[in-house]
Amino acid sequence: MAGERLNIPSVGVMTTKFVSAAELMARVLGAEGYPFAVIEHPISSASDAALAEEARLTVERSIALLVRPA
Amino acid sequence: MSIEILDPTHETGAPAFALAPRLPSLAGKTIGIISNGKRGTRPFFDAIERELTEKHGAIVVRRVKSNYSAPADAAIMKEAALKEAGGGWDALIAGIGD
Amino acid sequence: MLLTSKRYDVDDIMAAQEFYHGRGWTDGLPVVPPTAAAVEACLEWAGMTPEQLVGIEPVRERAISAEKLAINAVMAGCLPMHFPVVVAAFTAMLQEPFLLHGATASTGGCAVLIVVNGPIRGELGMNGTFNALASSDRASTAIGRAIRLILCNLLDARPGDVDRSTLGHPGKISYCVAEDEENSPWLPLSVEKGIPAEASAVTVMAAGAPRQLMNEWTTEPERILDTFVAEIRANMRHYSIYAGNYAIVVPPQLRAHFAAAGWSKADVRRYVFENARIRRKEWADCGKGAVVGSRGEQEYAGLASEDSLLVIAAGGPAGGFGAVIPPWFGGKSNAVTMAIGACFDCEA
Repeated sequence: MAGERLNIPSVGVMTTKFVSAAELMARVLGAEGYPFAVIEHPISSASDAALAEEARLTVERSIALLVRPA
Repeated sequence: MSIEILDPTHETGAPAFALAPRLPSLAGKTIGIISNGKRGTRPFFDAIERELTEKHGAIVVRRVKSNYSAPADAAIMKEAALKEAGGGWDALIAGIGD
Repeated sequence: MLLTSKRYDVDDIMAAQEFYHGRGWTDGLPVVPPTAAAVEACLEWAGMTPEQLVGIEPVRERAISAEKLAINAVMAGCLPMHFPVVVAAFTAMLQEPFLLHGATASTGGCAVLIVVNGPIRGELGMNGTFNALASSDRASTAIGRAIRLILCNLLDARPGDVDRSTLGHPGKISYCVAEDEENSPWLPLSVEKGIPAEASAVTVMAAGAPRQLMNEWTTEPERILDTFVAEIRANMRHYSIYAGNYAIVVPPQLRAHFAAAGWSKADVRRYVFENARIRRKEWADCGKGAVVGSRGEQEYAGLASEDSLLVIAAGGPAGGFGAVIPPWFGGKSNAVTMAIGACFDCEA
């Protein structure tokens, strides 16, 4: 969110476990509906192939949140 | 001798929040990735960096917060905002929770 | 530093007292007027920005900022060097297992016991010996009081407001103890909870009042612990039968017997876990016969596991005294341990 305040489009990435806490935080800080890219939990123990796939999905979701074609 | 003192209670009302303008595309853009430094997340961010540079033509800058539970360091955010000198970031991806 | 809290002008220190008392912003005792300079000094010492989010209290959806914690810490009498302990304690209280709203609003009237471990105790002049449980030193008293003011002012936990405690207990004013690690054969509480020994840490527990016991007539660890166990069983009979975090405080005179017999905290916890049990029918001995019903033989354990007991080495050198500190209400709130100012599963 600090990024948005600096006029830099930003996206927060987190695992499913953190979503409700993040939604709460966004609501309380006046940014209800702030977008997050959510990935499967946990990330630290995933295999290489699973990691590559999660990374691809994350980038896809992040692009959807960062890019708006002119 | 008067003293100026602060209100210790919860004061309601968060400041208004508006999203920054989005990018037309990622090609040639500098994307800053800020990690919270938790063990085991580095391979994931490596994979994201590969995806962004190889498939989308972006330039990636990686930073790690020095205190995982605090907001990103002032220094990191300053670097991100440094548009005038031709530096700065066009987008930001923050790894918040694992 | 940009402080965003509302500001007020008062004539002098005495006027400041009436200003805060009149608005219900104190615990009734005088407060140190929180000037911007004093608040900034705390934030600078802790390396925090005013708007830094310490956490969110989920029931009332309140964002807790570093600035607000600092204001209340200054009012309580904290110096900048005390502030990191206050931050760590409140951050620990905001963790889900602690159940902050329940612990501070319920009729059960508990206070928040704060146990401090690590090098910070020496840096702050904290004393885990004489009067360990009662205003033993400036740092302990101020840190404990800061938590009370934070609960009052940021979460409205004032008597009759959000705080519905029927009785409460004096620990609510301030309930902070430094473990006496140097004079103990045992591991510090924080190390038992997984924090490296070089780090400082706090453990917070939703706690009732301490119950003092005495046993100067034996050197056998089991017999000494039987007295502690009896006090736990009494709490189960008289207050609440449900398992939860109990803390026991063991001063030097009794600790010496455990050391001589080679008993670790793990040994102590195992013995208490195995023996702190009652049967439902014992309720009939203390006026609660009406609810024994047909399940008189049902056994209840005071501890859900050996890890539920917090063993604290503290107290003055003389006297075969000890204390049992019972939980607020069974296992609803869980004690939380948190390092002060560091993350231990981060990459270097």
